[in-house]
Amino acid sequence: MSVLLIGEYRENKFFESAYDLVGYAKKYNKTFEMFAVGNKGETPNIKEKLYLADSNKYNEYNPVVHKELITALVNKNNYNEIVFLHSSYGWDLAPRLAYDIGASLITGVIDIAGEEFIKPVMNGKLNAHIKPDKEKLVLTIQSGTFSYEPDRKETGEIVDYDLAVTKSPIEFISYEEAATLGVDLSKADIIVSVGRGIGKKENIKNAEELAKYLKGELGASRPIVDAGWLDYSRQVGLTGQTVSPKLYIACGISGSIQHLAGMKKSNYIIAINTDKDAPIAEIADILVVADANEVIKELTKLINQ
Amino acid sequence: MKILVSIKQVPDLESRFKLNEKGNWVVESDLAFRLNEYDEYAIEEAVRLKEKIGTDDVDITVLSIGPERVKEVIKKALAMGIDRGIYIKDNEAFSKDPFRIATIIHECVKDHGYDIIFTGMQSNDRSSCQVGVFLGELLGISTITTIIGFEYNNNVVTVKRELEGGKKMVLKCRLPLLLTCQLGLNTPRYPTLPNIMKAKKKEIKEYDVNDFDKITNNITITKLNYPEKKSKAEFLEGSVSDIAPKLVKIIKSKI
Amino acid sequence: MFSTREIYWNVGHSVLIPMYLFAFIAISILFYGFYKRYKVYKKGKPENRFDNIFQRLKYFLSNLFLQRKVLKVLSVGSIHALLFWSFLILFIGTTLIFIQADILNPLFGFKFLKGNFYKLFSLALDLAGFVAIVAVLTFIVRRFIIKPNGLETTKDDIIIHTLLLIILFSGFIVEGLRIAQTEINLENNLKLFSPIGMLFSNFFTTLSENSLLISHKLVWWAHFIFSIIFISVIPYLKLRHIFTTPTNYFFKDYRPKGKLATIDIEDESREVFGVNDIKEYTWKDIFDSDACTKCKRCQDSCPAYSTKKPLSPMKVVNDINKISFNFAEHNSLIDVVGRDAIWSCTTCMACQEACPADIEHIRKIIDMRRYLVLMDGEFPGEEVQLSINNIEVNGNPFGNSFADREKWIEGSGVTLLSEDSNVDIMYFVGCYASYDPRNIKIAKSFIKICESAHIKVGLLGKEEKCCGDPARKIGNEYLYQMIAKENIENINKYNIKKIVTTCPHCFNTLSKDYKDLGLTAEVVPYIKYISQLIKENKIHLQKQNFDCTYHDSCYVGRYNNLFEEQRNIIKLLGGNLKEMEKHHLESFCCGGGGGRIIADEKLGEKISVKRIEMAKATGQPIIVSNCPFCLTMFEDGIKIAEYEHLLKTKDIAELIEEHIENRGH
Repeated sequence: MSVLLIGEYRENKFFESAYDLVGYAKKYNKTFEMFAVGNKGETPNIKEKLYLADSNKYNEYNPVVHKELITALVNKNNYNEIVFLHSSYGWDLAPRLAYDIGASLITGVIDIAGEEFIKPVMNGKLNAHIKPDKEKLVLTIQSGTFSYEPDRKETGEIVDYDLAVTKSPIEFISYEEAATLGVDLSKADIIVSVGRGIGKKENIKNAEELAKYLKGELGASRPIVDAGWLDYSRQVGLTGQTVSPKLYIACGISGSIQHLAGMKKSNYIIAINTDKDAPIAEIADILVVADANEVIKELTKLINQ
Repeated sequence: MKILVSIKQVPDLESRFKLNEKGNWVVESDLAFRLNEYDEYAIEEAVRLKEKIGTDDVDITVLSIGPERVKEVIKKALAMGIDRGIYIKDNEAFSKDPFRIATIIHECVKDHGYDIIFTGMQSNDRSSCQVGVFLGELLGISTITTIIGFEYNNNVVTVKRELEGGKKMVLKCRLPLLLTCQLGLNTPRYPTLPNIMKAKKKEIKEYDVNDFDKITNNITITKLNYPEKKSKAEFLEGSVSDIAPKLVKIIKSKI
Repeated sequence: MFSTREIYWNVGHSVLIPMYLFAFIAISILFYGFYKRYKVYKKGKPENRFDNIFQRLKYFLSNLFLQRKVLKVLSVGSIHALLFWSFLILFIGTTLIFIQADILNPLFGFKFLKGNFYKLFSLALDLAGFVAIVAVLTFIVRRFIIKPNGLETTKDDIIIHTLLLIILFSGFIVEGLRIAQTEINLENNLKLFSPIGMLFSNFFTTLSENSLLISHKLVWWAHFIFSIIFISVIPYLKLRHIFTTPTNYFFKDYRPKGKLATIDIEDESREVFGVNDIKEYTWKDIFDSDACTKCKRCQDSCPAYSTKKPLSPMKVVNDINKISFNFAEHNSLIDVVGRDAIWSCTTCMACQEACPADIEHIRKIIDMRRYLVLMDGEFPGEEVQLSINNIEVNGNPFGNSFADREKWIEGSGVTLLSEDSNVDIMYFVGCYASYDPRNIKIAKSFIKICESAHIKVGLLGKEEKCCGDPARKIGNEYLYQMIAKENIENINKYNIKKIVTTCPHCFNTLSKDYKDLGLTAEVVPYIKYISQLIKENKIHLQKQNFDCTYHDSCYVGRYNNLFEEQRNIIKLLGGNLKEMEKHHLESFCCGGGGGRIIADEKLGEKISVKRIEMAKATGQPIIVSNCPFCLTMFEDGIKIAEYEHLLKTKDIAELIEEHIENRGH
């Protein structure tokens, strides 16, 4: 079983999340090699072999061309498992490769059980066990599932990879920065959200600081917005924004049905509330029974250290 | 210009899911069904394109596969402004993998000569993100996924792909083209009553899936199970100075 | 010496022909003016307001002559009533003169304006004229000097007040001149029976006879001409309300209060749903706008207006009037009225309750909403479209799974109709009581109450869908009908005879609107049902004193005239009820009706907070209500106002359950 990991470059930098691929391989003891279209100035900290195609020539996003590069490499070295990140690059490219080499394709993998690969379905309410029926297998792995801290001093063999390819019908024009008007909480990975249990309006800035240190966004339940303590763009709930972050910290939010409707898809929910019977306990993973403002201040202190 | 919109009817995700006897899919009773969210954006973009170019010059077809109930989403698409529908009857659609679904669609539409195909980038239930790209490959046309911006000018399409962190990528491509749509591409319209009534008269061509199903699965779902998640919260009590360090550890492990 | 006066004294009988000629012209102009307006009313669709003629006449007469609705605001209404009655007397007086002078006397030589009758006649008219002048002057002071907030003054008002003063004063001047000449020295002191005329006559005693007679003739003609002008301009000014407003009493709506017209959505020939052009209204809607006198009582009582939202019910009606009679350039009625105004209405009905002209404001607004939703797919916000979608997919605005609708039942011992349909009553729970934790308590309380009375209750459980009220009131007639038909089908298949509701929105929708779609079961609101159980001694309650105030929900009070049953219950439970400043028919909305419960309140101040302030002002610790929307809005309002330590909300079902004797046994 030989594995090819497909790394990614974004704007001339190796995409940090792509280390998840290494984490995946290490977790299941798979030996691997890596391929990426990028630049020699910035190579990933792995000791395994990296086949590097020049992004100046092939462009960072060029699915038709990248597919040809990878197919050729796969055919040459006979990998039987090719792993992508489940990212805007990965889910775009993986099916094209799978089609070309006649492989089974499983996307969004979070775990392996024997011969079967596990992925979440129904928005995470269920896990599906999937058995590939073809010899070759292409995978995309869910980001954040297989974390890996590289040894920043590690380096490995870099092989220049070059190939004659067809001209791409898709023309790359430019990158565009994310818009900063208003707050799009629906794209946030971490949200610290405040409700009436936060106490006074002045306490909100504590939550704001915590959110900043966690590199997350500040959210709010309806009464906070209604009271004018925060802008409407921060409102999470049925009549606000619907969010699905990796981590949702609900501070002093009792969990009205309207609020829950907006955030129950969160991956992990920490609720801080003095009321053990608060409805939010029904969907939270952890209920911290304490004063929200006090906890927030202490958390910010510790996270900073 | 001929446009195809490929859509899927999915269970409403608020439903409580019970596993079927074999354990490889969910029981349908007690499930509410709805149009796949991502496909709503696909339908809306197609209709907007038709309105932009001129309604007489554009014909849009919507296609969906599944049991009878799937006709509801076809009708909704028609009520949003699509011209005609294709319904491929298949009571076992849930057991077919994305590649097989893509080949079925391909068999059905390969000679229809569509200039643009819109579809959702994934479905709410399986979230595979595969059907769209496979269909593009089978048809041998350019495919771009995850679009949140679309512009058409004289056979050339300019799109914006959504990347991680909210960044965007601008690309250009000529027709024919298949695009998979991300949430936020547009604001899907609410069907107006006159359009709902007109939709009742629009043509829906029916086929049986066996007319197009030529292969077997590339992957199989052997079973489904519930992820380990506590249905009630774990309580963390004590003084703030005790709780906080534990909480920090938990937070760090989740981000 | 006879007590009488010579009609046409000094001016002579020769005035008759020009007088009748001018009168004829004036009345022709009057008729023509109204005919033109009638043609505009007819642009609207047909509607039958001629049924129950006897009932209509009764109402018309009592409201016109007793000025009932006008007097509801006593301070200003009494002035109008006085003006109305004094003009009525003056009109009767003029008619009597006409009958004698132009019919009975010339034809039969019969005169009745003599003797004591004449004295009474003269006195009455003088006092009437005096009261009329005082009333008009009071109005002038109010309108032009005090200038109440929100009272719009236009050229119409200036013309009308001026005309009235001229006519009234000139009338007394004529009388004064006549008395100065003919009655000043009479032995029977007849002039005393024209006291005001007598006062005026004191100014003219110094005039020479010749000047007197000439002045008299001139002022007589002036009085006449201005009266003629007055009659002619009636249809062209606000004065038209003299005819249109009483007529509107005749055309009052006798259908169940708050019931909207059911659109035939199967009608394939129909191209337009809802209203964006006045032709889509019925003639009654257009006529309504003509009955408006801009008294602003609707505006004053509107919860949206009082919380600084851009909705004034009066302005909506006036916009419709302006457009109908082409004074406003427009392509779209909705653009003129304004979307923010249209979406702000909570359908609380305070406007219609307050309106002395019986104008029906609400249906005009809902019809515009229907156009926005059904023709343009437009909603007041994305959150509303989301809730509507949730109702479509899962039968509730929250988006919770429809199968979870029966989750709250676990452990309560109630039967699902699908398992056992042999029940005493079906309880239609509603979305809030099925899913919202705060309101589930009310459903459970109601079940316990029924249990203690040994009533077998059946539920549809997950077969129950939203009654459709928020969807219908926000304008989505199509979704409402789809979901209503589903509910009715499920109710009918179990042969249900009696349905009880705890939500007044469900109650109104099922008992009134569903009748058009095939529901025949009897629908009873829980307050009435429980009252009956108490009366029949099926529930035993113990008195425990507590302090509270009570909120009359719009859909309970104004919509159904249900005020006393719940107050009696509260008293029975030992409640010391202190009323808020607006109660019974004048109750102030919580802000949740009219589909607003699924929308964000982005404009102005919060209606719920305003009502909570009224509750707080009573000093009572509990605010009792009987509607899940009110309960939810008050919970929010208390949080926003930070009154958690001052006020608690309670639904009446909770209160009753707490007071059941030996509960827990």
